[in-house]
Formats: sequence, structure tokens, C-alpha cells
Amino acid sequence: MATATPLPDTISDLLGIGGLAGELLSMLLAAALVGTIMLTMTAFAGPWAKRKITAAFTDRISVNRIGPMGLGTIIVDAVRLLSKELIIPEGSDRPAYDLAPVVLAGSAILGFAVIPMGNGIHLADPETGLVFVFAVASIASLGLLMGGYASNNKYSLLGGLRAVAQNIAYEIPLVVTAASVVLFTESLQMSEIVAAQSVELATIAGIRIPAWFAFVNPFAFVLFMVANLAEVGRNPFDTPEAPTEIVGGYQTEYSSVYFVLFYLGEFVHIFLGGAIIATLFLGGPAGPFLPGFVWFTIKIWAVFLFTQWCRSAVPRVRIDQIIEIGWKGLLVLSFANLVLTAVILGVLGL
Amino acid sequence: MSTYDERNVEPPTTDAGDVDGDAIEELLGDHVLDREQHLNADAYVVRADAVQDVLRTLREEAGFDHLSCVTAEEHEDRFESIYHLKQYDDPTNEVSVVVPTSREEPVSESGAPVFRTADWHEREAYDLVGIEYDDHPNLERILLPDTWQGHPLGLDYNQDKPQIVTFEENANPLEGDHRGGEDSDTMYLNIGPHHPATHGVLHVETVLDGEQVADVNPDIGYLHRCEEQMAQKGTYRYQIMPYPDRWDYGPGGIINEWAYARAAEDLADIEVPEYAQVIRTMGAEMCRIACHLLATATFALDLYGDFTAIFMYGMRDREIVQNLLEDLTGQRMMFNFLRLGGVVWDIPEPREEYFENVRDFLDELPAKLDEYHDLITENEIFQSRCVDTGYLDPEVAKDYGVTGPVARGSGIDYDVRRDDPYGYYDELDWDVVTEDGGDNFSRLLVRMREIEQSARIIEQCVDLLEDWPEDEREIQANVPRTLKPEAGKETYRTVEGAKGELGIYIRADGTEKPGRFKIRSPAFSNLSALQEMSTGEYIPDLIATLGSLDVILGEVDR
Repeated sequence: MATATPLPDTISDLLGIGGLAGELLSMLLAAALVGTIMLTMTAFAGPWAKRKITAAFTDRISVNRIGPMGLGTIIVDAVRLLSKELIIPEGSDRPAYDLAPVVLAGSAILGFAVIPMGNGIHLADPETGLVFVFAVASIASLGLLMGGYASNNKYSLLGGLRAVAQNIAYEIPLVVTAASVVLFTESLQMSEIVAAQSVELATIAGIRIPAWFAFVNPFAFVLFMVANLAEVGRNPFDTPEAPTEIVGGYQTEYSSVYFVLFYLGEFVHIFLGGAIIATLFLGGPAGPFLPGFVWFTIKIWAVFLFTQWCRSAVPRVRIDQIIEIGWKGLLVLSFANLVLTAVILGVLGL
Repeated sequence: MSTYDERNVEPPTTDAGDVDGDAIEELLGDHVLDREQHLNADAYVVRADAVQDVLRTLREEAGFDHLSCVTAEEHEDRFESIYHLKQYDDPTNEVSVVVPTSREEPVSESGAPVFRTADWHEREAYDLVGIEYDDHPNLERILLPDTWQGHPLGLDYNQDKPQIVTFEENANPLEGDHRGGEDSDTMYLNIGPHHPATHGVLHVETVLDGEQVADVNPDIGYLHRCEEQMAQKGTYRYQIMPYPDRWDYGPGGIINEWAYARAAEDLADIEVPEYAQVIRTMGAEMCRIACHLLATATFALDLYGDFTAIFMYGMRDREIVQNLLEDLTGQRMMFNFLRLGGVVWDIPEPREEYFENVRDFLDELPAKLDEYHDLITENEIFQSRCVDTGYLDPEVAKDYGVTGPVARGSGIDYDVRRDDPYGYYDELDWDVVTEDGGDNFSRLLVRMREIEQSARIIEQCVDLLEDWPEDEREIQANVPRTLKPEAGKETYRTVEGAKGELGIYIRADGTEKPGRFKIRSPAFSNLSALQEMSTGEYIPDLIATLGSLDVILGEVDR
């Protein structure tokens, strides 16, 4: 995998265009392709899969009237959401209010630039890939705070504050846990991380078990999954939205296109979390028989399914409890994990 | 206040438990102007400036620690406030304190400093009837808008003149920034009237310090539909019965109807056939299960956030009860099933099939409750949210007149079904459920365990009904087509609703319609304790506490 050429180069080779203009064009084409893939997935996830999954958990039927298995709902919902009136509350802080949805959706999509999705779909492979992905993912908190603050609504403000408090409390454990993976790979480059997981860990009854970090260090994997739930704001950590408490949190005052962007940003964010988990712990696009991209998709959908499961079955934790779990629990555990991993690696001389 | 001797009629017998009327009269001494006989209790007419003294004496020295209700009414020559007092230990021990005031100057001393529950009840009395209470902490309108002209249950009120309160005229909840002052750290927040977690249209005026609740004040009345007024315009026999279904539409319809039936049957001296009592008991317990399932489901919804598994499971299982009730009454919510002296019709034919359906439901219920316990009460996150939040001290609860599962969650062993038996309850084998925690978790547990007890009651009712000889299935007593209870007869009767003690006060005026019809809503009193339970906690706990109170605004606002 480490030797795969990035997608823009593949495209420029394919089209036979060179030079600065050619490279720029192929970069744009590649970015558009990745963006389209992610947005298509979101379109499936938001109006349709999410409903179907939740319905399955809660003993309901859910959308089934329009198109086969209710798939037409995706189109109907898109038309419905986009054609609604854009209501801008009195006294809102205009540039911030308009920018917030864009920042949220944009930051999440940006993260996919460095994710290797298999079959050569990999936009860029900088040496600091992992840092980049965490950096852009955290810009989302800024979007949430902007939206919450600029809406001129007390519920939004509370939601925005909660979002920031929660994201700070959970991003540190997230990054520290990721660092324990980096100890194994000795590289922040995404392709290196994936490559490090392709070696064999053990063979049990003829089945080759790859050295996915979820197997190598399951403790870190669990920590990361939990912190990721808080990062994407799903139960039990969905306090920034908490419809029954603070109505809709930061997105209370958003309607129409802005709401779509928020909604979309959230889902892309969940998928980005899934992509990071897949890359760091589940061997990226690796898997038998099927093409890498399919495996990659399956893995991020598995994470999506997990978030939906939590959403249907786990109660929401109170905001002070969340902060407590984050600072007193996860942070300590993640540092312990980092130190222990370092010590073990040092002793084993790996 | 004209005594029975003057009107030359026999005083009705009073059913006031073990209360020694003369001892109480002696205890109250000079404050007593006169003694009356209400059907449920002895009534002492006291001076309007001695209300606190009288209530305090009755509470501290005679043990009447439960101010169940305050009824206000206007007569041709006077206003009257009636304080219906009971004992939590034995609610059949009752007294009523009647406080007359002149029509020219209807000012009476407030009972709120003695019983905090009087606060809201007196505000309602002021709002609807127009009696002013001296020394009341906050005498404002409670159900009607602040700008309303007149008092609709007063005699002089022009019923035909429409009053439209425009949005501009009303107190604007958005006005200003509601900050205490320049240096204040608090933020004012309107929770409701349109909020996902208020279980109807409730407006909770909240003052926040960060995320912590510094003060809450529930603002009710958005769902006020003049139920008392409408009941006063209907005839006893048929026209009132449909209204109770619209109070607690959880659906507690049959229980609500029973509250009216119990008061009216007491007033008109109607004996209900045993067979009908068993059907009533079964129907009422089905309603209770449906209500408690709804309460459990929505409480979980408040804690989880979305339409989650437990919410949908609750609704799914409630649906089965609804179907049973529909088969029994012909309606899913607005049953109109009870009649004075019985029920409207017998168990639907084929009877065996109906009983089989009920038994199927009862057989499946334990497994379903186990699943609930698996999902919620045994979930550690859930416990961390509910245990020790929304604490309600039993003494405070009594002070606020809290009853029902909320009181039993605070360890108050009080259930009208057992303590003041009606229907067929005293013939059946069941337990009153209490929990000592006083927190949200205890209230949830009480409701879930009460479902089991209700199931026990239903099972015994089905056994009885199945074996009931065919020629003795009398569903209706012989009741005259027109009921005209004697003028001056007054009664206050309660039943155990799904939310607590649901009481009806009726004063007959000799016509076929009640002279005064007063509803004591359990959720009304329970809700008034919200402030006590949630001050100092976080917003999520406030929401959870509100959910654990299980208020139905149709019943609060009537």
C-alpha cells in the first residue's frame, strides 16, 4: 500500500495531462471524486440508512413508501430540506452565523484528504497525515461554537459551550491514544500506518490474522472508540444537541440549506471518525477477497452502525459527568496506555 | 351557611373516619363560627382571619398533615374557601375547614405559610373565583393570562363576553435579557411552552447559573379548557361523564371517570352492583398500566434523547393495553365507559376471547418488564443519571400535597385504593409499592413495580368475572333518569389516579347540575413541588425530574 501513487497522479497519468495546470486539474478531479464518494455515503446514511437502522433497533418499519425499500426518500428529503425557507433569527451575528455550517461540513470533508481508502483512492500522503486529520477534525468544534454563539439563542449558546467543553475533553485522549499506535509504526504517515498492519500477527487454524492494531492493542481500540463517540457527539455523549434538554443545541436556529450543512457535517464527521478508526486500528482498506475500497467502506459503515446502536440503546450522560469521564477517566487511561505501550515496546526492543 | 335546622332537613350522615368532631371543635376554640356536615367529613366554619391558626392547629395537634384540596366558590351572599384536610396515615380521617368571606370584600387569610400546597390552590381560587388571600407569597393568576378581566367562576362574570388576549398584551417571555443586574451571573431561560421535553404545553421559567438551575417556576394554564365550568353546565346523569376522560389522557380515562362517579354516587346515594365494580376495577387498572407504561417510556425518552428502543417498546406494549381498552369500551382514549351506578355495557362478546386476550397480555408482561429492567434500570449510565437526582424529601412532599407514585417514591405509604377503599380493591390481593430513595430512580421503580401489581389485580378480576353466574351479571344499578341531589349537600371524594390522588368536590344546589364542581388534580400538586426538587441541579436533571413527575398537562390545567 505504501507504494501506491496518490489519486491525483493516477488521474494525470491517465488523462495524459502534465504541467502545473494539468496537475491542478487532476487534483481538483481527484478531490471531487473523494468528496462525491463521501457525500453519496452521507446521502444514504442521513435520510435512509439511519432511519432504517434506528427502526430495526426500535421495532418499527420506517421509510418504505417511496421507491424500493424507501430509497426514494433520499431524493424527497433532499428536495424538502433544500426548498425550505431559510430563517435567520433576529440579532444573529451574521458572518459567523453563515460560516458555521460551512466550517463544520468543510472541516469534516477535509479530513478525507489523507485517508487511504484502498484501490489507490488516496488524495495525499503527507508525512504528518495523522496530525493533519486530527487538526482538521477539531476545526469542527469551532464551527459548533460559532453556530451556537451566533444564533442569538440561549439554547444554541448552551449547546455551543457544551460542544467545546466536550470536544476539548475528548480530543486529548483521542490524540494520545492515537499516539500509542504511532509508537508501533514510528510514522505519522497514513500509508505507513496501514502498511504496518498488513504483517502477520499469528496464524490460528490456518487463518492468517493480520497485525491490526485493534488486535495488537485492543485496550487502545476500545478507548479510541469511546472517545470517538464523544468526538462525533453521539449517545451516550450527545449533550451538545440533547434535544430533550436544550432543544437542538447549536443547530436550534438553523433551517433549510444551513441545517442541511450541519446535518451533513455531522454525518461526514461520523464517517471521518470511522475512517480514522479503520485506518488506525482495522488495517485500513485491507481484507480478503473483496477490493480494498469495499472493505474500507464496510469498516466505516460498521463504525457508523455502532454509533447508531449506541444512539438507540444507551442513555445520555449529563454534561458534568461527561467532563468528569473525559478528564478523570479517559485521559488517565489513555496516558497509561501510551506509557505502558512505550515501556512494553522498549523492553521487547521492537 | 344556613344550618340544617333552619332549613328543616335532616343533616346527612358524615363519613369522616375516626375523627372526633367535638374534640376538634374544642381544639379550634373561638375560631369556629359554626359546624356543617359534608358527606365526607365534618366541616368547621372559621373566621377569615384565623385560617393559618386553624390549619396549623389541625396539622400539628390533630395530625391532619395532608391538605388535599382547596375549593373556592361563590354563593349568593358570600364567598367560601374550603380546605379539605386528610391524614397521610389514614385518609378516611377527614375534616373540612370552611372560610366564608363577604362578597363586598372577599379577603381571606392565606393557608400557604402552613401548607405550601395551598400556594397554587389559592392562586387558582383567586384566578377563577376571585377570593383574595392575605399573606399569600405570590397571589397571581395561575391558569388564565395575567391580563384577563374578571373571575370566570364568579356569579357576576359575563360568560358571553369573549376575551381575546393578544400576544402583545400578554407578558412577553422574550422581553429584555432577564438578567438580574449588571453583575449578575445568572441567565434566564424559558423552557417551553414549546420544548421537546415538557410533555405537553408547560412553560418552565428557569434561572440558570451556568448549567445549574438557580430557580424554577412552572407556568401552567396553556391547556386550560374550563373543565370545571363545563362540568357545572352538564347534568349529573349523562353529560358530565365524557369530560373526565380529557383530564389525564395518558389514558387514565376510566380512573378519572371513577373519580366523578364516586363523588356523584356518594351525593345521590347510589349503590353500584358488585359485578360492575369488578369491571370498573379491571378497567381502571388497565388504564393505570397504560399510564405507567407511557410514563416509563417518556421518562426514558427524556434521558436518552431520541425515539429510542425503550420508548418504542413502551409504546408497543401500551398499544396492547389500548386495544384491550378499546375492546372493552369502544374507544381508545375517550372511553366514556362508566355510568353513575355502573358501567355502560358488559364485557364484549365473545367473553372467552376477551379474557383470553387479557390473559395473553398478562402472561407476556413479566418478560417485557424484565426487558425494560435490562434496558434501563440495570444500565449503569441510566442509574448514574437517576439515582440521587431530583430528590424529594417525604416531609416536603407532604407539605406540597404530593401523592401517587411520586409520594410513594419518597417512601410515603399512601394509596387511596387501599387506605380509603372503593370499587373492589379491598377484596383483592395486592400490595402498595413504596421506595425510600425519593429520587428519580425510585419514582421510576415504583411505577414499574406498580405495573406488576396492577397486573395482579386485573388477573384476579378476570378470574372473578369468568366465574360470575350469568344471571347475576348486573352492570347497572337502578338510577333515576334525572338526578337532583338535595341542595346544600356537599362531598369531596378521591380515587387513586395514575398520577396520585384525584379528587372531586361537588356541591349540589337542588338542580340536575352541580352548583360547584371542583377537580383536585394530582399532577397539579405534584408539579408544584418541582422547584423543591430541581433547584441546584443541572438542566438535564431538571428535565429528568419533570419526566419522573409524570405530569399530564391536560390534568394539571384542566
